[in-house]
Amino acid sequence: MAVNVIVALGLNLLVGNTGQISLGHAGFVAIGAYASVMCMNAGVPFLGAFLISGLIAALFGFLLGIPSLKLEGPYLAIATLAFGLAVSILIGRMEFLGGRMGMSVPKIDLQWTGLKYDLSLYYLIIIITIICVIMTRNIVKSRIGRAFQAIRDSDIAAEAIGINLSKYKLYSFGLSAFLAGLAGSLLALYLGFITPNSTMFTFIGSINFLAIVVLGGLGFVAGSVMGAIVMTFLNLQLENVVDLPLIGPLLYQFSETFMSTTGIANVSWVFTGLILILVILFEPLGLYGLWIRAKIYWMRWPF
Amino acid sequence: MLTQLIISSLVIGSIYSLMALAMSITYKASEIPNFAQGEMAMISTFVTFVLLNSGGLSFYPAILITILFSFCLGLLLEFVFLRRAKDPTPLSFIVITIGFQLMLYGIAGWKWGSDQRQINLPFSESKVIFQNDSVAITELNLATLVIAVAVLLLIFLLVQKTKLGLAMKACQQNVNASRMNGIPSDKILAISFGISSVVGTIAGVLVAPIITLDPSMMWDPLLKGFAAAVLGGMKSLYGVVIGGFLLGIIENLFGFYISIEFKSVVAFAIIVLVLYFKPSGLFDKHYVRKV
Amino acid sequence: MAFFEVKNLKKVFGGLTAVDGLNFALEQKEIFSIIGPNGAGKSTIFNCVNGLYTPEEGEVIFKGENLVGKRPDQVAQYGIARTFQNLELFAHMSTLDNLMLGRHIKMKTSVLGSSFLSFKRSKAAKEEMHHRRKVEEIIDFLELESSRDQFVSNLPYGKQKLVELGRALSLEPDLLLLDEPAAGLTQEEKEEMIFWIRDIRDLLGITVVLIEHNMQMVKNISDRILAINFGKPITQGTPAEVLAHPEVIRAYLGEDVNEAV
Repeated sequence: MAVNVIVALGLNLLVGNTGQISLGHAGFVAIGAYASVMCMNAGVPFLGAFLISGLIAALFGFLLGIPSLKLEGPYLAIATLAFGLAVSILIGRMEFLGGRMGMSVPKIDLQWTGLKYDLSLYYLIIIITIICVIMTRNIVKSRIGRAFQAIRDSDIAAEAIGINLSKYKLYSFGLSAFLAGLAGSLLALYLGFITPNSTMFTFIGSINFLAIVVLGGLGFVAGSVMGAIVMTFLNLQLENVVDLPLIGPLLYQFSETFMSTTGIANVSWVFTGLILILVILFEPLGLYGLWIRAKIYWMRWPF
Repeated sequence: MLTQLIISSLVIGSIYSLMALAMSITYKASEIPNFAQGEMAMISTFVTFVLLNSGGLSFYPAILITILFSFCLGLLLEFVFLRRAKDPTPLSFIVITIGFQLMLYGIAGWKWGSDQRQINLPFSESKVIFQNDSVAITELNLATLVIAVAVLLLIFLLVQKTKLGLAMKACQQNVNASRMNGIPSDKILAISFGISSVVGTIAGVLVAPIITLDPSMMWDPLLKGFAAAVLGGMKSLYGVVIGGFLLGIIENLFGFYISIEFKSVVAFAIIVLVLYFKPSGLFDKHYVRKV
Repeated sequence: MAFFEVKNLKKVFGGLTAVDGLNFALEQKEIFSIIGPNGAGKSTIFNCVNGLYTPEEGEVIFKGENLVGKRPDQVAQYGIARTFQNLELFAHMSTLDNLMLGRHIKMKTSVLGSSFLSFKRSKAAKEEMHHRRKVEEIIDFLELESSRDQFVSNLPYGKQKLVELGRALSLEPDLLLLDEPAAGLTQEEKEEMIFWIRDIRDLLGITVVLIEHNMQMVKNISDRILAINFGKPITQGTPAEVLAHPEVIRAYLGEDVNEAV
């Protein structure tokens, strides 16, 4: 789940703050994961592998960013889509990356913490996530973040102000890819085994990440965090829809009469899609927007 | 062998063209790329399937009803969802269409599961019409090409020669001026979505026998159609059609001569390259905003 | 050598020659106005200077260099700032952020550096505070305190124009290009704008070029005026000379000159 947060942070920078579109971010996650595993297999200590995988992903981010300089809207969407697909297909085909079977991920030495492996891994990931959140928030509030938003709001004015559009768009792609790559590296560590078909590496994964960012609130760091938490929670619940207290049995009955029961797991897609639509229609600022409204409402309360 | 390759390229290319055309119709009208195109076509194709099997209807009535259904689906998308958006940035609309797509995918998977089914068109895949040493054309191939081309021509006629087409073009260029001239731009937009949905559905029905009917069947044609549209220039109807056929040919040639596995990837790579040199596609014009 | 000079500027769009044979030179701390009917090519001149368009012929000489062919962000580095006729504010940001963006070229924090912003001792934080002080000076100058934290899209039009002006001032430019600063303002706001433009020149030492239709403003503050029509210059000179020129009257002001001014 924390991994989702990091990817969301990255994607939000690109989409929410700079106003670009990326439908292929899962590709960066995959690159990060595989790069990390390869580094670790080559004997690089985890921290190094972690950072290197981020940098490699960032490199691809820059590369993807170059054609993006001239593209907008749906054209950019297609280019990023193509990238994501290309990565997932290539990873599956290349033998030295494990091909269809994937690769297993070496464990790292966490015995110095004195805790069980799983628990200490959990803490490690949480700490890294918190660091990422803080750093991302700082970037958003700084000159760089403002420049990104300027590009989103009016690239003509941004240029007139002295912002080099190409440089900053590339930065944005690179930075968001960097974060995704870091997330991929952590993901690999957590899963222990990576295959090309993991949800997080494919097109569905990209859409999922986009959903998280939109749900949380485009352009707001807190939004990405909230979105990731909520979405992960929802996904987990929806995996076992039938077990849900009220809705579960209802859905099951409904399925028996109208739909087939075998396909019930697909309900999660319906929900995700519905959430996306509802958020855009009713609260474009996402969960963060709701949070702000709630705060304002409480501040004004007796009136 | 080459001729056979070309024939199959044209056949699959015509499917891509239809999808690309559907995409372009809505994009021209609204600047929104409709990512839900594929799933809308898929669900409509399932409707045909149900009508044919459980409903016991024969082919042509079933198709007619399906066309009606998909038209309404298009209207639904525009009217219920797109119109209500509070924040009309392109990203919002794209997200809405993606959301709609996910919903339809989920609904289809829910109802029909992911088993593959067979749909029976009156054009058989095995019946070969024309054959000589190098080429074999099946009835299905021919039907696909002919129907696709017919639909393309119909759409062109619609846009160029009818009042509706003129209204669509007017709305795309300047919504407010159109309204002031008495054109109901909302309805026109909804109709555009409806038409594009029908075109997509026809592609879906034609391609179902080849790739078999299941909820994820349209993912690939959607992406390829989209890519073809981008290649040709999304605002140019001629361009996207040519883009579709071109994509079919490139893909198959590459797949045959170099590598089947990577053929999709290469298709996309070529598109990205084209976009780098000509960002608005091969045939499109680029408008500069006045400051 | 003049402070700023445009020589033989020519810009063509497809079949339309928007600007042709345009020449003018500015002295430092001058207020120079460009007038002419709509479509005469005035904004095009600004866009050519700014780098948004590349003219077919001509030179734009500033600080000893020809700016033609440079990107807008490079032109900004030379010390030229502009406002836009149709306002190009950053709609989803506050007034403060819009103005802070104007400080962008003066700030040096790198990407890595900015990730440490929340730590008060960091370089990033110190730089931010320094520029925030500068921006506050501009907010005081333009009396925008009440709008400081509001999203600019929520501000009334008059305030929005001031924010755009403030943003241009944040660049600490040597040359300021104002595209129709009085458009859309109430009479009171127009009169204030006249004072502000004068203050900008007198207190801040900035040379100003205006495009304007409001003859009251033009007559009151301009040192010199250039009148153009159909992309070609009609005449240049002091307000008295230009506004009495028969061609200018015919093409633009209308026969009842007294009413127009």
